[in-house]
Amino acid sequence: MKKTFPGGVHPLPSQHQGKPLTNDKAIRPFVSDVVCIPMNMHIAAAPSKPIVKKGDHVLMGQLIAEAVGPRGVPVHASVSGTVKDIGMVQQLGKTTSQCITIENDFNDEWVELKGLGNVENCDADQIIPAIQAAGIIGMGGAGFPTHFKLQVPPEKKVDTIILNGAECETFLNADHRLMLEQPVRVVDGLRAAMRAAHVERGYIAIEDNKKDAIAAIESAAKGRKGVQVVTLKAKYPQGAEKQIIKAVTHREVPSGGLPADAGCIVLNVGTAAAIADAVIDGKPLVERVTTVTGRVREPDNLLLRVGTIFLDAIGACGGYTVEEPGKIIAGGTMTGICAPNDTVSMTKTTNGIVVLDQQEATSLDESSCIRCGRCVEVCPMHLDPYRLKNLCDANQLKEAKDQHIMDCILCSSCSYICPARRWIMSSIKNARELIAQRGI
Amino acid sequence: MALHISTGPHLRAKADTQRLMLDVLIALCPATAASIYFYGIKAVLIILVSVAAAVLSEFVWQKLAHKPIRISDLSAAVTGLLLALNLPANVPLWIPLIGSVFAIIIVKQLFGGIGHNFLNPALAARAVLLTSWPSHMTKAYLPLRTLFGSAAATGVDTLASATPLLVPGTTEVRDLFFGNIPGAIGETCKLAILIGLVYLLVRRVISWEIPVVMVGTVALCSWAFGADPLKAVLSGGLLLGACFMATDYVTTPMLKLGHMIYAVGCGLMVALIRQFGNYPEGVTYAILLMNIVTPLLDRALKRKVYGEVKQHG
Repeated sequence: MKKTFPGGVHPLPSQHQGKPLTNDKAIRPFVSDVVCIPMNMHIAAAPSKPIVKKGDHVLMGQLIAEAVGPRGVPVHASVSGTVKDIGMVQQLGKTTSQCITIENDFNDEWVELKGLGNVENCDADQIIPAIQAAGIIGMGGAGFPTHFKLQVPPEKKVDTIILNGAECETFLNADHRLMLEQPVRVVDGLRAAMRAAHVERGYIAIEDNKKDAIAAIESAAKGRKGVQVVTLKAKYPQGAEKQIIKAVTHREVPSGGLPADAGCIVLNVGTAAAIADAVIDGKPLVERVTTVTGRVREPDNLLLRVGTIFLDAIGACGGYTVEEPGKIIAGGTMTGICAPNDTVSMTKTTNGIVVLDQQEATSLDESSCIRCGRCVEVCPMHLDPYRLKNLCDANQLKEAKDQHIMDCILCSSCSYICPARRWIMSSIKNARELIAQRGI
Repeated sequence: MALHISTGPHLRAKADTQRLMLDVLIALCPATAASIYFYGIKAVLIILVSVAAAVLSEFVWQKLAHKPIRISDLSAAVTGLLLALNLPANVPLWIPLIGSVFAIIIVKQLFGGIGHNFLNPALAARAVLLTSWPSHMTKAYLPLRTLFGSAAATGVDTLASATPLLVPGTTEVRDLFFGNIPGAIGETCKLAILIGLVYLLVRRVISWEIPVVMVGTVALCSWAFGADPLKAVLSGGLLLGACFMATDYVTTPMLKLGHMIYAVGCGLMVALIRQFGNYPEGVTYAILLMNIVTPLLDRALKRKVYGEVKQHG
């Protein structure tokens, strides 16, 4: 039986969500001459602190920046070679980020790795430290430190881990290909996370538009303790944390709470694969699958080293098909972040690079709300987006807060569907920043 | 390289306001064609004057008020066409002219333009015309020709006593369905209206709830009052109103539950006015009344927000 949540949209139906461009492209490794690795790829903790200097020779997987604070995440060299520079570089964020640039010597010489071995037999108490040491963060896009997510206080009574293989975002197939080609890594990662968090139940939830991935994961999960595959209806935002919890467990995360308050931990399937590598082989997170698609000559699913420059990845896919790209998006077209230029780096969280042409990128003129009710119908949180938009535009922030503006998950479904082309989600996002600033 | 930067969503759904309004116009094509078939050049002139007056008055208003010109969203054209289809064939042409100007300027623009009017402009204009010039507005004329007709009378400018609502027993269902009856030019041919409804549903411009529940309520009430429910449904402006005017986005509630209550209210009012009122036909006033209730429904009906904890509720 297909599980789902109420509301949501089927984006870009005429293009099948943009997925056919790459859904049959096998993962292809690509390594560039140089990587530029940001120190702030994660959220919820201070940027990592570089421990190498310019001119140092580093091996692949070598620690190059240490974690700061208990939630902090270390960073490792994703190529072997020479540290060329440590400095501030414009990345995807609003401000510049400290980055370590390494010139690749193409020897792919690894540091010595020491894993814990089989995920079923290893010391369960060693799993979380191994995950932390490997620098693993949420690879679905948010970048929350995974070791911290798995350390749930016992009073929260977490009994379920959900692996998020929904991949409901448009254009992306990175998770799809990973599940299809490396299902055992994904299941191993789930089992390691279950043992680490002392959880008996593990679900791998996948949308029904990825039948081949479901079959691959099902056969890999056969006989694995407590692991179950769940088929989800293909719908956006099926992979949003709160919606996937609702779909799989029928529980709701209380307003303002965390998944743990609903007894759940949600991990992306890519994160699970990284956990498997970290636990079994002691391998740090230095590469990931990224879908490079849109207005590029040969859209593909690339296995990229962390810190690969966008332009290099796009070049590996034959370059742009347009003279002047209009937009370059890190992620899908619903919630992806716009790159300020094509020399920014992909990070541990970059699941896709989508290039749009000028026409696609041109902002649409906002017109008056015609009260069609589509935003209300699609809102997966059951908010009244049209009303929130009006309150935001009128700067009535207190009222907006009373109307649950803080519960919005910024999924963009309302803006996507709005026939008046209103920037509903943008207004909500801005208003929330003001609410936080002013302490309303 | 100058890249565009914005938040998501970076690509939008195809249907914009203009496309939705165009779909409504397309859905009204069968009814428009039927009105011309039945009433000839008179229907053509009424439609032309009404649509032109609506679009032009919107243009002039936006120009004078220094607002962006948005007649290309086609909403004024929809208003003009709907008003025309709600008029009898022999009205003098200043009737659609005044009606359209009133609909656009007074009902729509004075309240802030598209999306801000609290009454359906075409219906509000029709109501004003009805009370101001009842002699022109309440006369119904027999069609020039019949469509799959029984022995229904036809004749140029033949004045029927009134709408068939007053003489329900004598008209055959077939004539009610195909439009071989007197009435407003666009409301008589139920076949044409239903084709338009199917188009709107297939294109997902509207959903089934409002037309089905409204018509169902009228049928149920008529049955309860001892009338023939099928004839009640096929009489007067009920189908045109239920499919094209009670479904107007701006003046209907936002939530599905609101749609249900609104549609039941519309149907109930139609049945009550028809049964007990002085007017033979109640669709216009029924919908206008429920338009006024819409903001109250929007305010009163709340969904449970995801994650709302009971003790806070």
